[in-house]
Amino acid sequence: MTTTPTEATMTEHGAGPAHDRSPHDDGPDDDAPLDPELVAQIVADQRARVRSAIDVEARVLFGAWGVAWLLGFGALWVAESQEAAPFGEGVALAVFGALLLAAGGVTAWHLTVRTRGVHGTSAVQGAMYGWTWFVTFLGVFALPQALERAGASGDVQTTVMTVVPALVVGALYMAGGAMWGDRTQFTLGAGIGVVTAVAALVGLPHMLGVMAVAGGGGMLLTAGVDAVRRRRGGGRA
Amino acid sequence: MKAELDPVIHSQARLRIMTTLTALPVGDRLTFPRLQSLLDTTAGNLSTHLRRLEEAGYVTVTKGHQGRVPSTHVEATRAGRRAFEDYVGRLTELLTPPTGGTSTTEDR
Repeated sequence: MTTTPTEATMTEHGAGPAHDRSPHDDGPDDDAPLDPELVAQIVADQRARVRSAIDVEARVLFGAWGVAWLLGFGALWVAESQEAAPFGEGVALAVFGALLLAAGGVTAWHLTVRTRGVHGTSAVQGAMYGWTWFVTFLGVFALPQALERAGASGDVQTTVMTVVPALVVGALYMAGGAMWGDRTQFTLGAGIGVVTAVAALVGLPHMLGVMAVAGGGGMLLTAGVDAVRRRRGGGRA
Repeated sequence: MKAELDPVIHSQARLRIMTTLTALPVGDRLTFPRLQSLLDTTAGNLSTHLRRLEEAGYVTVTKGHQGRVPSTHVEATRAGRRAFEDYVGRLTELLTPPTGGTSTTEDR
């Protein structure tokens, strides 16, 4: 706590602290006298309000992506592992794609609403981080074509397109956690990295099940923990 | 020695403005409309109080353009953040019985 009364931070008169007459207020003050309890309440309320208005919520983002992974990888898993699957791989891929697009939409909407009107250092930082995701996934989405041209089988394609994007997600969450000092995000990223390594060792078709249950489930668990923490009022940014 | 609370900040409207601006990390600023919406106040009222804070050197108000649309950005200065910290520290002293000297919980 700095105590540097260099600015005009103190009034010259030393009246009782509970009743500040604010003799210098010549502006159109709409204010009733403030006592310390009320001031503390105002500060706490406004802080909570600002936080809830500009905070990017883990429960929203990880909730959306967790649902997409759980159902999307789950559908692929069913299609690839069940003899009598009620739908084929094509349908599962379409469902997965739609879920990922929806999660992307939720993310974009949430970030736009929460960071609207906030400029400066953190906005630049956030934009750079956003571009990191964009450019990296541009490369990831270029992979299937390259694999196909190289004569990769369907299994190779599915393996690569499961492991590589998941590793990227894990790494970027860990990096994001490091950037913002956010343990929740870092831990989730590390978890996804480990889950992906396990999935790679398990191999097809059950690697898809590992990604659905442990990967998507891990995200939903993280979202749930965040939601509980927020409800208790101890939510962190 | 007990000093009084900084009169520049010690007004409900300006207190809420400073609380809002200092809740952001250093280097961040808010557009005028976003600040207004976080405070539920009128543009005129907000302008008046911002001017007072600007005169004290607690905030900077930058007028610029985003494309062709004029935009105003508001940011707490270093002096403003320090004054707010002092204000909250003093407030904590007032709220806690003597033998203070404890550091406040404000570190954002």
